[in-house]
Amino acid sequence: MQSAKAFRRVFAREARIIFSRPIYLMCMVVAPLCTFVLFATLMNAGLPVELPVAVVDADNSSTTRKITRNLDAMQQIGIIARYADTERATDAIRRGDIYAFYYFPEGTTEELLSNRQPTISFYINYSYLAAGSLTYRDMYITSLLANAAVGQAALMARGATKRESEALLQPIVIETHAIGNPWLNYSIYLNNTLFPGVLSLLTILLTAFSITSEIKQSTAQQWLESANGSIAVALAGKLLPQTVIISLVAIFYNIYLYRFMHFPIHDGIWSMIAASLLMVAASQSLGTFLAGLLPSPRWSMSIASLWGVVSFSISGFSFPIEGMSGAIQTATNLFPLRHYFMIYCNQALLGYPVAEAAIHYAALLTFCILPFFTMRQLKKALLTYPYIR
Amino acid sequence: MVFFVLVPLGYPLLYTYIYSQEVVREIEVAACDLSNSKESRKFLRMADATPEITIQSYCTDMLSARTLMQQDKVKGIIYIPEEFSNNLNNSEQAHISIYCSMASLFYYKSILVACTETSLAMNKNILISKLGASTERQAEVESSPLLSEAIGIANPSAGFANFVIPAILILILQQTLLLGVGMRMGSEHEQGYQLHKKNIYGIAQVVGRSTAYLTIYIPVTAYVLCVVPALFDLSQLSNALTLVMFMLPYLLACIFMAMTLGCFVWERETAMLLFVFTSVPFLFLSGISWPESAVPVFWKAVSCILPSTFGINGFVSINETGASLNDISFEYHALWIQCCIYFVTACVTTNIRYRRKYS
Repeated sequence: MQSAKAFRRVFAREARIIFSRPIYLMCMVVAPLCTFVLFATLMNAGLPVELPVAVVDADNSSTTRKITRNLDAMQQIGIIARYADTERATDAIRRGDIYAFYYFPEGTTEELLSNRQPTISFYINYSYLAAGSLTYRDMYITSLLANAAVGQAALMARGATKRESEALLQPIVIETHAIGNPWLNYSIYLNNTLFPGVLSLLTILLTAFSITSEIKQSTAQQWLESANGSIAVALAGKLLPQTVIISLVAIFYNIYLYRFMHFPIHDGIWSMIAASLLMVAASQSLGTFLAGLLPSPRWSMSIASLWGVVSFSISGFSFPIEGMSGAIQTATNLFPLRHYFMIYCNQALLGYPVAEAAIHYAALLTFCILPFFTMRQLKKALLTYPYIR
Repeated sequence: MVFFVLVPLGYPLLYTYIYSQEVVREIEVAACDLSNSKESRKFLRMADATPEITIQSYCTDMLSARTLMQQDKVKGIIYIPEEFSNNLNNSEQAHISIYCSMASLFYYKSILVACTETSLAMNKNILISKLGASTERQAEVESSPLLSEAIGIANPSAGFANFVIPAILILILQQTLLLGVGMRMGSEHEQGYQLHKKNIYGIAQVVGRSTAYLTIYIPVTAYVLCVVPALFDLSQLSNALTLVMFMLPYLLACIFMAMTLGCFVWERETAMLLFVFTSVPFLFLSGISWPESAVPVFWKAVSCILPSTFGINGFVSINETGASLNDISFEYHALWIQCCIYFVTACVTTNIRYRRKYS
């Protein structure tokens, strides 16, 4: 009863702080929402279309012009310029005007007609990896189609039927099934993890900030007193109001993604809401743990920033962890976002049974016991630490 | 000081280490071969031999293959139907299905590339044997009359580190300046201004401080842009003079922007709360990962406010394609314009800040 009263007191105290200092709502609501809007609208197209490319046609025959037209008809690329030579086209790549160019050397048609196997080339700037890969794909397909068209014409001229010539030219056909995201939609690919990543980063930072700033502003003892000297009650009362607000934001982005933007969600929205809420709790626990470990605002927040920012790279949603070294692969387990990402792939994207993701739910829960390790240290710090400028 | 020196020194190393392997090799897949024929086994052997994938297990039915995928033991499945070899021998098209987890686009790309390359190689052999051409050369020309080759102008191995690290390095310079200057101005606001020189104008403050920041950041920038890539064998095609000429307006624009925004920081730690999370949006706004041509107009306008947008695109051109200042004159001039604008805003905000404090 005593502690329930104390809890209410701390809770009310924290609610006052949240609404009197704009930085809190800024971090919990405004910043995440702005980021959501940015990413959602930025990648609205899903897959970029009409990426600017150029053609250098030194042959300029009806055949090369036909291939050029086919190239222009590809969805992901659009020909914005024709250059007289590769020098000028390379300059355009350096200026960043185009991502790639397609090159027909002089005599392409002549060599083609006389069976001398001409080579056409495409030059791609892979500094822009996504744009480079997409232009590569369309240019490669165009070349294969052009090749097949010439081959087919030759075979049909010798009396083969269309079907026969197809079976001859392409006996084995590969059919691709991209499970979970058949459109190769980048927005689905990235936003499902970028949103929670930003929220997790801000949560870890804000938790460390709100705890350590009590020390800095010399209100730590007053805070503890209002909790009847119990650090557990003090922390619970302090963090719970933040949990409520951040969780609302988390629920909002889930509804936005899966109900409004209709991103794939195979195992139902509840599994993702559960994962998001657990991630919020795990991030808060991590922040509390850091605040206890390093009770100075600048140090705990520096480590919190490091953790939050690195989790974008290390969770494996942009670059798979199979491509990282063994030590890093193990270290990925220390980041809440990694487990969230695994749950997301398993549940929402691929729709597997909950049992397969259970280990990651458990991992997120494990983060929640972290504060208990540094709680006593934190209490000591609250009572004794002067703030060092 | 931590943010001026330690972070720029350490972060790039960490990032480059994370991405040091560049490409993903030997993605594990399951093979489900219902045909179990000479041809299907040959296909799987050849696919297994590609650098992109490795066949982790052979399953007798799709159910067990799917189970492996659910347990995250494999990232994809190659399915060869029963009629595969019959179709091939009856001169009909035979189909192979591949299923890949879209948890990462890299899985999709690796499995697709491995299987496509394998099928092209096998197709060619089949065609050559069927055509019964008199010479190998004739068969070669008949099977592919028109050759094509892809040439990577920059980052030829399409590696992830060479793509993302240059952008991160440039962004780190801007973000650490934002943080460092922001924290400095925040704690100054807390402590009261010890300078108490009421007569000093904002302009003198801005010029004096930015000179100090610039002096600190010249060696830091040299380290971040020259030493770090060299340590990890990333491509470095930049001309030294071009790089210096380009980085000068970039650093100045970042410093003046940091001093402008720093005026809104009232407390040391809030700088971290305000600026750390912006790194990810700023990276996306620069157009390095999501192509600039697909960025909506509104966000393109927003991205023009940030030095990092021009800094990243310019540096990538200089570093990866060996561009000269002339090639990137747009970015170069944009940075100088930002410099001028931010210089004025930094002076104005500093002035207001001081006046408010002393009136």
